[in-house]
Amino acid sequence: MREVAKKVFRYAASFLLIVTLNFALPRLMPGDPVKNLIGEDVYVSEAVMEELRTEMGMNRPLYEQFTVYIGDLLRFDLGYSYHLHSPVADILRERIGWTFLFVGVSVLLGAALGTLLGAYAGWKPETKANRLACCGFIALSCTPPYFLALLFLEIFAFKLGLFPFKGFYDVPTPGSIIHHMFLPVTVMALFSASRNFLIMRGSVIQEKGQLYALYARAKGLYDISILFRHVIKNASLPIITLLALDFGFLFSGALFTEIVFSLNGMGTLIYDAIIGKDYPVLQGSFLVIALAVLLANMLADLLYAVADPRVRRPA
Amino acid sequence: MMQEEAYVGENTIQESKIQKSTNQENTLQESTIRKNIILESTRQWKDFLSLNLNLDLRKYERNLKRFNRGGLCLFTFFIILALFPALFAPYSPTERFIPYEAPSTAHLLGTNDIGNDILSELVHGARISMMVGFASACISTLIGLMIGLFSGYFRGTLDELLMGFTDVVLIIPKIPLIIILGAFLRPSIWILILVLGLLSWESIARVIRSKTLQIREAGYVKSARCMGFSSFHIMVSDIFPNLFHVLLPKFMLATASAMISEASLSFLGLGDISMKSWGIMLSFAFSRGGFIRDMWWWYLPPGICITLCVMSIALIGFGFEGREKENGKRGVDAE
Repeated sequence: MREVAKKVFRYAASFLLIVTLNFALPRLMPGDPVKNLIGEDVYVSEAVMEELRTEMGMNRPLYEQFTVYIGDLLRFDLGYSYHLHSPVADILRERIGWTFLFVGVSVLLGAALGTLLGAYAGWKPETKANRLACCGFIALSCTPPYFLALLFLEIFAFKLGLFPFKGFYDVPTPGSIIHHMFLPVTVMALFSASRNFLIMRGSVIQEKGQLYALYARAKGLYDISILFRHVIKNASLPIITLLALDFGFLFSGALFTEIVFSLNGMGTLIYDAIIGKDYPVLQGSFLVIALAVLLANMLADLLYAVADPRVRRPA
Repeated sequence: MMQEEAYVGENTIQESKIQKSTNQENTLQESTIRKNIILESTRQWKDFLSLNLNLDLRKYERNLKRFNRGGLCLFTFFIILALFPALFAPYSPTERFIPYEAPSTAHLLGTNDIGNDILSELVHGARISMMVGFASACISTLIGLMIGLFSGYFRGTLDELLMGFTDVVLIIPKIPLIIILGAFLRPSIWILILVLGLLSWESIARVIRSKTLQIREAGYVKSARCMGFSSFHIMVSDIFPNLFHVLLPKFMLATASAMISEASLSFLGLGDISMKSWGIMLSFAFSRGGFIRDMWWWYLPPGICITLCVMSIALIGFGFEGREKENGKRGVDAE
């Protein structure tokens, strides 16, 4: 029970830290906070600036500003983008579905691919194919995701012409969407698989020396069933933690992949926001991504408890 | 040495007596003999060093063998590139020629949009990319070491607090946060280093803490405490040396990931344009037409360099980690 309370407290603290960071950044950074809040390249006259200043409550004390800010958040009001002339929450709502679809599919694919291949590579680490796979995945994990995306785009879309260059779809039918998403999802899945592969490989190598694996062999089980019925269950525990922690990392990788493939998701939104110095959009995106990662971590903790009974029972 | 020479002498005498032996055999024998001589002389040289200068090369060699050879070779190559760019770069990276030129004998990798020689740019980029990686890894390792050491050594409330803080920071997604910070602050390489360093110490702190918890129960730490040494002294002279072999792989891996982060951020235009790292080269190749014009000699080399360099560093790190695990199995803990 104490562990659970600790976990809950930590998540609460993380949540608070994220929100506070989001609140404090535009106010702490060099330059006029009002400018920082509305975006730098927006042209407004002095009078409008003053008006905005009072409207945003910049001249009130900090704690009042903070309560106002929290209140806005609770109403899903993330500010107004003066570049795109619409509330940030609306823009994000439009974009985020696609990004989550993209990240979700590739994380799941990557986890499945990485776990299975990694388990096999750990089971027979000395065979040539597995060594080759290991080298390949190490190389993949050392490549910046956007470089991989660039290479794929160059080879499969430009040179071979197999896939379209950009966008989520020409016509919104599942076939077109799958055709468009194939390359970016492949890149992200490979990237995510490379990390899972390395962890899973190490984990299986460690687990297969344990006594229960020996016992399973003594019972006369086949190699494959020892691996898939006994070892893989225990070996995949680190993967769950990794998936959650990596979610943020993969999410950022997805942003770069989106930029390369010109997918209209969060990545391109952030890219345009950086170029246009559109701070409200940047902040809103950060908040949403951070909360998504937080949720993923909570989910992983729950999953962990389901998968490993030792966590549930008091030690 | 003397024996070898005698052997050589005998051989020549034999040769003169029996002239039937074919040329091939001769060269083969000679080469093995030469090899033996070289081996022998290096052995003596090492003996001399270890006796007179207290520099035991053999120990280092034994350690070197446990490294990943390929990783080490690549890494040395990149280090030399970074330290002496002038040796490899045919031109200065700011010198300007005709833009958008294809590879030729004058420009092995062609020229970019403003006419800089791409090969020279690539060579000079090594220093900047690696500097960002190592500097931010230094910062994060230092912070991680401090936090891990303190929380592992003092335990109790301080441990709870520090580890709680570590967990909290661990959850915050790094790249998005760095993107926001980078957008607010003016892009500069120092800010990049600082931000990357300040945001990636958590896993190091965790590893150091668990290792410290182990070491603080060892006999020599307990006896040092009994003798009344201060906590600071114990941490520095008893615990820290034993953390070193956990710290080094973590440091390498932190360097690798910082280099990838730098490349990614540069790609978004958050890098320092005045210091052209590989990431910035790649970003320019993408945004300034190298990609659309199909100039593979522009965008491929920096990307490959990033990958290879990160891989060499990561491989060295993995090599250390593997060794650490082996030691753990054999029960060789605090050497």
